[in-house]
Amino acid sequence: MQDERGRIIEARSLDGDCRLLKITAPLIAAQAKPGNFVMVRVSPSLDPILRRPFGILQSEPPHIWLYFQVRGRGTRLLGSLRSGDSLDILGPLGNTFPELAGNKTLLIAGGRGIVPLFHYAKTYAAQQQLFLLYGGRSAAELHLLEEIKAIPFAKTVIFSEDGSIGQKGLLTAGLEKIIAEQQPQATLSCGPEAMLARLVLMLKPVKTENYASLEALMGCGFGVCHSCVVLAADGSYRKVCDEGPVFPLEGIQWSN
Amino acid sequence: MVELSADLGFCTLKNPLIAASGTFGYGEEFLPFFDLNLLGALVMKGIFRKPRPGNPPPRLAETPAGLLNSIGLAGPGSEKLQETIRRLHAKTSTPIIVNVCGEDDNEFEEVAEVFSAMAEVAMLELNISCPNVKRGGACPAQNATHTGRLVKQVKDKISKPLIVKLSPNTADIVAVALAAQEAGADALSLVNTFLALAVDLEKRKPVFANTLAGLSGPAIKPLALKLVWEVCRQVRIPVIGMGGITSGRDVLDYILVGAAAVQIGTVNFCEPRAAVRIIGEIETEMDKLQIKNLSEIRGKLQA
Repeated sequence: MQDERGRIIEARSLDGDCRLLKITAPLIAAQAKPGNFVMVRVSPSLDPILRRPFGILQSEPPHIWLYFQVRGRGTRLLGSLRSGDSLDILGPLGNTFPELAGNKTLLIAGGRGIVPLFHYAKTYAAQQQLFLLYGGRSAAELHLLEEIKAIPFAKTVIFSEDGSIGQKGLLTAGLEKIIAEQQPQATLSCGPEAMLARLVLMLKPVKTENYASLEALMGCGFGVCHSCVVLAADGSYRKVCDEGPVFPLEGIQWSN
Repeated sequence: MVELSADLGFCTLKNPLIAASGTFGYGEEFLPFFDLNLLGALVMKGIFRKPRPGNPPPRLAETPAGLLNSIGLAGPGSEKLQETIRRLHAKTSTPIIVNVCGEDDNEFEEVAEVFSAMAEVAMLELNISCPNVKRGGACPAQNATHTGRLVKQVKDKISKPLIVKLSPNTADIVAVALAAQEAGADALSLVNTFLALAVDLEKRKPVFANTLAGLSGPAIKPLALKLVWEVCRQVRIPVIGMGGITSGRDVLDYILVGAAAVQIGTVNFCEPRAAVRIIGEIETEMDKLQIKNLSEIRGKLQA
């Protein structure tokens, strides 16, 4: 874990009020593994007081990439930074995707849930047979398609709710087909809670090993404040920051 | 060269900076960031007899330069914490303070006895002021009579110095402070978080399951400073001030109104090395102000 002063060397605005930042942060980049996240200080002032958690999209030392949508105050401040600006970054934090038994893995990404899965694919595409199911509201919110094309996925299926790109509908509509065709031994997913809650039901009859990367409101990011808890299947609270963000999909109590 | 030591009467800390309970985990989490021996002392996250799951999420909400929390004192229970303390003590010589909690007076007493018996523990802080345990934020520190009775009950059973942590959520904090002093408290720490409310406009419901939560951070500093000042003028035991400290100047503000030492809290979340920076800033500020020793300004507010 490093507390590093990063420097933005590329700040791209994308459709749907999304941003892609390329940041020089050599210490964090050298250690970052798929699944890890960072806590970013979005302002040098004490307002807002808390850092914000962001998944690491890609890490190629000395750079890391962050990809996010401007939603609230924190993302607005971070999204207004420009190339050349510096910012405090704490990371890499959290656990990583586990080593999987088989070598056929389906990645299921809802919207910005692509972030940790992209990192996973960039890292393991050469060693594993990877399939990608990627969905979002519309073409305007589905980014990184060129970058995804450059990753040797065995199969990529795109869904959009409005049909503006790929197949029309929720990505869960394509789940059964891709599983039947490709017979993955594991799934890794990240996306809205409703999607993950649906996945746990749909994947129940399938004998895959399933992991999800979770998002949570976080105070510190390193296990101290106990803010970012999720309710586990056994009824206990788990901290997303240092016990996650990657959990067995069935290990979480999803509110359906 | 300035002298940073802070005199608590019953002991002297190497500097006035103490990491506040609930914001510093169990100390170990900060080992990757800095040498804990740099701290004046550290306070463990509050502990009950048994493990506690804490409150349902969401557990925090931000407000300008502040933070509302409703963690609910999630923790591993006193047995587990004893192991953690032994492990931490082997890695640092910084005084370890245990923040003692209880659902009722007897639990406070029982937990205090357990940690008072540990050689690795320097002193206890009696957390009679957490607003997130009972619904509505009720706590013993809202009432002088209850505070006096509870402090005496605990003090009679322990051998370690006892700091009593006070709540700002009471009509007369000075009365509560005096009651704690009369009952045998060795020091006071104040303030715990301010009871506050956050609402969800869309759902027309409170943000937190417990309705009320505790507000901390720079937003509360002037409010906390006032209460520390008021208490310091009336008590003879040392006062540890806290509330929104993020800089060396903030620390000296608290010393000026009479605090013997301070605790830093919320800033630990956003800046894990804050303590190191702030200790450095205290020295720089003292140099600028031509103060050689904290006692030169302690309680010297001309008002």
